[in-house]
Amino acid sequence: MSKTKLDEINRNIYNIKNKDEYDFKIKKGLTPEIIEEISKQKDDPKWMREFRLRALEVYNKLELPTWGPDLSELDMNEIATYVRPKTSLSTSWEDVPEDIKNTFDKLGIPEAEKESLAGVGAQYDSEVVYHSMKEELIKQGVIYTDMESAVKKYPELVKEHFMKCVPVHDHKFVALHGAVWSGGSFVYVPKGVKVDIPLQSYFRLNSPESGQFEHTLIIVDEGASLHFIEGCSAPKYNKVNLHAGCVELYVKDNAYLRYSTIENWSKNMLNLNTKKAIVGKNAKMDWVSGSFGSKISMLYPMSILNGEGAKSEYTGISFAGGGQNLDNGFKVIHNAKNTSSVVNAKSISKNGGKCTYRSLVRINENAGGSKSSVSCESLMLDDISISDTIPVNDIRTDDVEFSHEASIGKISDKTIFYLMSRGLSEEDAKAMIVRGFAYPISKELPVEYAVEMNNLINLELEGAIG
Amino acid sequence: MSNKLLEIKDLYVNAEEKEILKGINLNINKGEIHVIMGPNGSGKTTTANAILNNPCYKKVNGSITFDGKDITNLKTDEIARSGIFMSFQLPEEIPGVSVTNFLKYAKNKITGKPVKIFEFKKELAKSMEELNMNPKNMERSLNVGFSGGEKKKNEILQMLVLNPKLAILDETDSGLDVDAIKTVSKGIEMFKNKNNAVLIITHNTKILHSLKVDYVHILVNGKIVKTGKQDLAREIEENGYGEYK
Amino acid sequence: MEKLKLNETPVRTSRNFNINNIKLENVVIPERLGNFNHVTIKAETSKIEISNNTNPIDLTYGLGEELTSQVAKQANQKLKVKIDSKTNQEIQIGFQFDKENTQLVDNIEIEANEDTKSTIVIKYDSQKDVEAFHNGILKVQAKKNSKLNVILVNFMNLESNHFLSIENTLEENAKVQYTIIDFGGKNSITNYYSNIVGNSADNRLNTIYLGNKDQLFDLNYIAELRGEKSNIDMQVEGALKDTAKKHFKGTIDFKKGCKKATGNEAENCMLLSDTARSLALPMLLCSEEEVEGNHSSSAGKVGDKELFYIMSRGFTKKEAMKLMVKAKFNKILENIKSEELREQILNEIDERLN
Repeated sequence: MSKTKLDEINRNIYNIKNKDEYDFKIKKGLTPEIIEEISKQKDDPKWMREFRLRALEVYNKLELPTWGPDLSELDMNEIATYVRPKTSLSTSWEDVPEDIKNTFDKLGIPEAEKESLAGVGAQYDSEVVYHSMKEELIKQGVIYTDMESAVKKYPELVKEHFMKCVPVHDHKFVALHGAVWSGGSFVYVPKGVKVDIPLQSYFRLNSPESGQFEHTLIIVDEGASLHFIEGCSAPKYNKVNLHAGCVELYVKDNAYLRYSTIENWSKNMLNLNTKKAIVGKNAKMDWVSGSFGSKISMLYPMSILNGEGAKSEYTGISFAGGGQNLDNGFKVIHNAKNTSSVVNAKSISKNGGKCTYRSLVRINENAGGSKSSVSCESLMLDDISISDTIPVNDIRTDDVEFSHEASIGKISDKTIFYLMSRGLSEEDAKAMIVRGFAYPISKELPVEYAVEMNNLINLELEGAIG
Repeated sequence: MSNKLLEIKDLYVNAEEKEILKGINLNINKGEIHVIMGPNGSGKTTTANAILNNPCYKKVNGSITFDGKDITNLKTDEIARSGIFMSFQLPEEIPGVSVTNFLKYAKNKITGKPVKIFEFKKELAKSMEELNMNPKNMERSLNVGFSGGEKKKNEILQMLVLNPKLAILDETDSGLDVDAIKTVSKGIEMFKNKNNAVLIITHNTKILHSLKVDYVHILVNGKIVKTGKQDLAREIEENGYGEYK
Repeated sequence: MEKLKLNETPVRTSRNFNINNIKLENVVIPERLGNFNHVTIKAETSKIEISNNTNPIDLTYGLGEELTSQVAKQANQKLKVKIDSKTNQEIQIGFQFDKENTQLVDNIEIEANEDTKSTIVIKYDSQKDVEAFHNGILKVQAKKNSKLNVILVNFMNLESNHFLSIENTLEENAKVQYTIIDFGGKNSITNYYSNIVGNSADNRLNTIYLGNKDQLFDLNYIAELRGEKSNIDMQVEGALKDTAKKHFKGTIDFKKGCKKATGNEAENCMLLSDTARSLALPMLLCSEEEVEGNHSSSAGKVGDKELFYIMSRGFTKKEAMKLMVKAKFNKILENIKSEELREQILNEIDERLN
């Protein structure tokens, strides 16, 4: 009894809808005039304004993908690409307006900052409303700020890296992002600096029929290390919202970056996000990703292993319930000698949901001595759901060790009987098996996120089993 | 108070449309150790699964009463919570769930009380030591990558922790070496007291060398054909099941 | 010249991955065909009916519109094999390309009736220096309880083009096993589709391919499981030398209703040179809960330790390589009962690896 009640409260946390109050909301649709207006509102430097307009041209030229989920319900003329909340950037939590603060309070954001984070950023609709970082990191030269401030304060660093890792021609939604991007975080960790506790940005989309296009740019310089966490959520509206963020990660020689994501967008969200990392010599890039929300998700983080001995590891889970189509996966390009990649992907489909694992492993001609191993497991919780695995393995040289394994199946009746013989109800037994299935991912997350993920799993399983 | 613990009356059970048990009658009282012996395919495992009401086995006729309550059609978890434990012949592997977490959760479900983690871990470590188990296994995923012997010991460990009124051990001794069998019988002795009971299901008699039992039942072709004392087991050891077939 | 677009996968993925279909340059589909007469058929004709295949062409997948309609309109070999005998039957069909017979467009239909048991060997072979063109369709109807063993051998030379579309329908409890020896052709493009409709129907597909020089293999294998407790096993073993290229697209599709069905797909590629290329897309599609599906795929070169071990027994590196390749293929070759044919295949491997 009490458990169900608690979970209801939890669900409501994500669903808090604040009044659609804003300082400025751009007209719906996409025209050069609208882009000019966004640029003006943001007080862009000239190069950025021109960049946006060029990106719009590319956007207009590119086609929608000919594969994957059906995106026909997305009508860009119905999406407001820029919504400025009624506040300006604060560095003190006290200064954040009450309703916005309450939302983040309930999501546990400032609390987590006190307990286990080195720095926090919070974005509400199109703008970052809060940013702070521990004093000692500032002294060490670490930069953690919102993207707009970075464009103005660190023009060289930004110009050199902005949309160089993810060029606007990549696909249509990257071009869109280039034209209308707003908010996001900029992180620079100087050579040799090890940031031991994580930095975290939280993204919240409150405004209906709008889009969030935050840009995250992280540079971990030679020999430095960082753990960055990204969390996303939004209340549910009847019409679609669009998230087309872009994450660019530069992991320089001998550096280490772990990028963790818990994505719990509401189920009217189209999550068309692009994430890419360029990994240098003997550097390592770790991705940890939990995908629970969204109506449609198309998300394939990518590691480009450009330096000799570069490594990448991807650990991800997707959990699709009714009405959800989560098309997620991973891409890795081995582009230097002795590089290695490990992929561990899992998915759970229930209640008519669809999970697709889509991937690419490419080992180029110049990547002799490289290794790659991929494992993917899919769990079907009923017979009305769908689970597809679509991996492409492109091996272009002989001195490699490549292996790929995938399996699909349901929870075995024998296992359920075993657990029930130990006193667990059928529902508890299934939830335990699913949590165990997701454990390789939850163990990679900071404790409070792992707890959140398990709560999400319990929440998702409730009512679906019986 | 009655001493009666388990009472099986005229039980008929089918597995996949095939009639396996053809009228089983069995009474177990508190404080007793029973053994069901029989050749392969005689219905031993079916008996254990039928008591726990495994949905793969269909009860056609008969009843099972436990501790004064009709449990014939209860769900498996309800039966477990009323105090019956079954040690599996082939324990299932559960990736991502550690032995500690699993047992803590199960203990909580069985007793209906919160489990204090510190005391629980201490108790668990002690039991593991007595069963010659590697304490590192506590944090490993349940049964995943365990050897056959480790799995069986883990079942006995679960029995000790969950402390049921009736423990059914389905072929727990099969495939074990002499030392492991000794550990298993040690576990049974640790568990056993005058208020609970044990039902051992086996096709060989090795475990009976190191364990004193009260009753031996011979199960052949879905029926108990003979019931006796420990010496009946010895007789089977010498002559086999030939004369009962 | 316009590129010939063939062999679309049942589900598309990103165009940048270059695997949704294959585009061939410099391949001409001949507009007018000559005769093809060099055909040998061995069978006990009292037990097997071999006649002119007059059924219209109707393929669910196939290699593509152009090639399918060519077979429909211009086939110069049409065969219908009807198996009624309950005793084990063996049929051998051989197509030999030579100077007089360079273009073959064949349309073969096999009907294995209820409770029958048979083996069919179809072999495509070409003389050296003949630039041959082959475009064929093979349709198989495996009726209730039938057992059918199909062995396809492609020994064509490296100047030729080899196109083949296969479509099988498996009824209840039908057991169909394919062994495909795919060695020949500058381009060897195969579309294989099994519609596993019947309950407890079982389809096994074993392929070995061997790529040489600039050969290109494009294998698009699709199995749709519809029957309860039905099964598909795909096992593909291959080796690539020089600048040979292979695209393997394997799809196991668990359709709604195929309760307790199982599907396994294993694809392993030995890379014998640093310029060979292996592209693989092993897909599992699933819309049914109570199923078990697995796939695995691997690529790499021959292990240095194994090579060293064999060479330490007095073999040259080349001989050792050949030995390793043959060892890899051996399990699949065991499916071929005819010792003579097995010998031929082993000799062919030796020759092609020289």
